[in-house]
Amino acid sequence: MAYFRVNQRCNGCLACVENCPADALSARDTQDHRTLLHNMARCARCGNCWRVCPQDAIEFQHLLHGDWEAVTTLDLLRCDVCNAPVYTAPFSETVSKKIQWELKPLCPRHREALDGLARAAYIPGGHKKEEVSS
Amino acid sequence: MIVGDLKPMDEIAAMIAGYRKILVLGCGSCVTVCLSGGEREARQLARELSHPMHYPGDPPELRVGSILRQCEQDLVSAYQEVAPDIDAILSLACGAGVQTLGDAFEPLPVLPALNTTFYGASSKPGVWHEVCRGCGDCLLSHTGGICPIARCAKSLLNGPCGGSQNGACEIDPHTPCAWMMIYYRLKKQNKLPLLDRLCLTRDWQSAGGAGPRVRIRTGIGDPQ
Repeated sequence: MAYFRVNQRCNGCLACVENCPADALSARDTQDHRTLLHNMARCARCGNCWRVCPQDAIEFQHLLHGDWEAVTTLDLLRCDVCNAPVYTAPFSETVSKKIQWELKPLCPRHREALDGLARAAYIPGGHKKEEVSS
Repeated sequence: MIVGDLKPMDEIAAMIAGYRKILVLGCGSCVTVCLSGGEREARQLARELSHPMHYPGDPPELRVGSILRQCEQDLVSAYQEVAPDIDAILSLACGAGVQTLGDAFEPLPVLPALNTTFYGASSKPGVWHEVCRGCGDCLLSHTGGICPIARCAKSLLNGPCGGSQNGACEIDPHTPCAWMMIYYRLKKQNKLPLLDRLCLTRDWQSAGGAGPRVRIRTGIGDPQ
């Protein structure tokens, strides 16, 4: 859905195009039609178009409260125990590579429970602290 | 951009004490980018201010909102809704935004949650330095693009003072001497002769000495 929207009062006068300080508006004329064009990457959302429009046709609220746009979609991993979403498969791969250990998908609560079990199973003195000679 | 800092929490709490329904309003421009007054900070501030420890009685009801720019009166009048039962706005904008809201929603009190600190540039994430005072008579073409008014603690115009030590300012060893920076920048540009030019006493009217400044864009702005 476009962020820059006009209502049916737009008559194609191009006042907005002429007065856009960021050159974010343009128009394309074909044999029978005029199309108003907007470039969001150039738009400074300064509101000049909305101010100068003699037809009160610019629905500026869509540039203030625009819709969310999907950017990318990735495979999601869920907690092995409770099925809560934890992180994406590529994230797991990146971290696993860094720590050289395959990451087990667990939510914070179940990871803590697992850590607790590991601590309980730990036998102090299983390895001796090296003596440091001065 | 304009840089602002959140005021101390007790100062803000004392400011809003006595109001029952407050709109905590973020600004989506400079103070969003400098991480002090955007929608996220407005939500965070409302959460903090809703704690009863700040008040002798019940905490006020806090509602959160944000608008792209608080410093444009027609924009806020057209697009910022303020419910009729709101009895004050706590603005996280710079001083320009706070005053514009005050004009737009008069007589509703508009209170500043930030101290507007300076015009700054970001050298790395999370760090902003003051680099401009908006003096209205830019001399960067003579000083290698480094402003001695904003970046020299004494705003000296004709070279460093005696407090410049090993390239640092006497106020703090981590603050570089602006004139040291100017010298080395001009040296790299082969423009050291620019330093021979004596900068005479400036006329500070353009810096605000002649009263509040107004800019009227010819052909668009209406002086009335």
